[in-house]
Amino acid sequence: MTLLDIAIPSAPGRITWNREAIGFVVGFLLLALLPLVFGDSYSRHVLIMIFIYAVVASNWDLSLGYGGVFNFGHLALFGIGVYVYSLLAKMAGIDPWIALFASGVIATLAAVLVTIPILRLKGIYIILVTFGFAQLVMQVIISQSDLTGGTQGLVRVPGLYLFDHNMIRDGKLAYFYIALALLVASTLFLRLFVRSRAGASIVALRDNEEYAISRGVSLVRQRMVTLAASAFFTGIAGAFYAAYQRNASIDVFGMSLATIILSMVLLGGTSTIYGAIIASFVLTVFSEAMADFGAWRPMITALLIIVIMLVYPTGLVGMIRAAWTLVAERIKRRA
Amino acid sequence: MPLLEVEGVSKAFGSLKAVDDVSFAVEAGEIFGIAGPNGSGKSTLFNVITGIPFGPDKGRIRFDGAEIQARPGNAIARLGLARTFQRETSFDGLTVFENALIGASYGKPGRGATEARSRAVEALEFVGLSSSAFGRLAGELSVFDRKCLMLATAIATKPRMLLLDEPASSLTKPEIETSIGLIRRTAERGITVVLIEHVLTFLMSLSQHLLVLNQGRVLAAGEPKSVIADPRVVEAYLGTRRSAA
Repeated sequence: MTLLDIAIPSAPGRITWNREAIGFVVGFLLLALLPLVFGDSYSRHVLIMIFIYAVVASNWDLSLGYGGVFNFGHLALFGIGVYVYSLLAKMAGIDPWIALFASGVIATLAAVLVTIPILRLKGIYIILVTFGFAQLVMQVIISQSDLTGGTQGLVRVPGLYLFDHNMIRDGKLAYFYIALALLVASTLFLRLFVRSRAGASIVALRDNEEYAISRGVSLVRQRMVTLAASAFFTGIAGAFYAAYQRNASIDVFGMSLATIILSMVLLGGTSTIYGAIIASFVLTVFSEAMADFGAWRPMITALLIIVIMLVYPTGLVGMIRAAWTLVAERIKRRA
Repeated sequence: MPLLEVEGVSKAFGSLKAVDDVSFAVEAGEIFGIAGPNGSGKSTLFNVITGIPFGPDKGRIRFDGAEIQARPGNAIARLGLARTFQRETSFDGLTVFENALIGASYGKPGRGATEARSRAVEALEFVGLSSSAFGRLAGELSVFDRKCLMLATAIATKPRMLLLDEPASSLTKPEIETSIGLIRRTAERGITVVLIEHVLTFLMSLSQHLLVLNQGRVLAAGEPKSVIADPRVVEAYLGTRRSAA
């Protein structure tokens, strides 16, 4: 069987491909129209950051939610993307687009490498090893300061280009659409993957490892596939982030970013992909809207997350589903 | 040549010899019963044969002529040796259909999506799960339906041999009757069945050969009637029998 096996054509009990495709197209078309509403570059900047967060969080949902692999080195894959891009584009002078793609490939290779030590581990031990992996990557980057700028990071990293388009004086329009395209490609990939037989097999391993093995599923191969699949677009998102910010900093390895992204995965509702994306919007917009509250901001945010998770343990997606059922029932009753 | 040959297989946990120098052979096409009191090593024997989660410490296991004692569990499954578990087990986050699809897709090398799909459906219908249940999450099913589903996922792998670990446990009388019929029909499909069971009547009505384990060792083996009459079996098994037996 190939790695990304043919998607299950129609699966009873799951939303049909047609309906999902319609929702997908409508949803992303609405996002594509946002720059018409938000003309200022600050709003667009927030939207670009949301798209980047959404890519990283939804890919984490693949390994953490679907695969049940407690990969706490996910942000290291993002960081690898940041630095591979910066080094290739700045130091080696490689074309930014090629560097962007290469960042995804290298992040994927790194994910395959980190799979080896965690193959025989479970639960919290996987957290420990993957967390160690993230620290290791960070320390290597700090130690190679001649190349990476160490704790100072790298500045004047080359940005992306689109033909002769002026990327700087367009109110961030080009970066907005590149980020959106990245989110579309990543989401399409993730949804196809989780709805494929390979996607079902990683859920099977999560639900009952021994049972899945007894039905012929290879733990080694599928765990590697899980982490590799979650790494590619995460690495590309890192590269895009570096190109967009024009710098690389070891802050991306810090706990604060990891915590924010993890809250997005959990608040959205795991094993949905869309949940993480929705939560990226909600959390980022909420956080921006509360800018005036200063030190209260993170506290109010944290409280809100706790309340939502208490009422809807399946996160925002569970909340939306509940609301949808309620509306559908009302309509039925009227008819 | 027997389909399954187990030769001098042992498995110890510390000083406890869970399976101690066990040998037996199962011919293709038969229903082979394994009995024994609680803790006699029946399930451990299944574990070491299927490599899930571990193989034996010592001994040789040949399936269809190939030595399998050192192979990983998923490779053994793909050779056509499937098993069920004592407790009803399912992939709770997947639908009934997807559960069967896992077996159909991964249980045998080189299967196309269309063929896997139709085999999954066939296996589900075989165990009596109706198509209206295909879209339900496996975790929502009743104990009996989950046991049937577990059998379906095994049959979807197109096994040559099926090891059933206490298929009747925690089932009601009518459900046990249905299970007996299901196991018979499984054997009629040409699948060799090895059956662990507590309920002796269940074993007596189904199996052509019977093996009795006690404290990890083979106590008696042969025709069910003569095995049951063996005084050592009466002492170890029936002598301490529970009301269910």
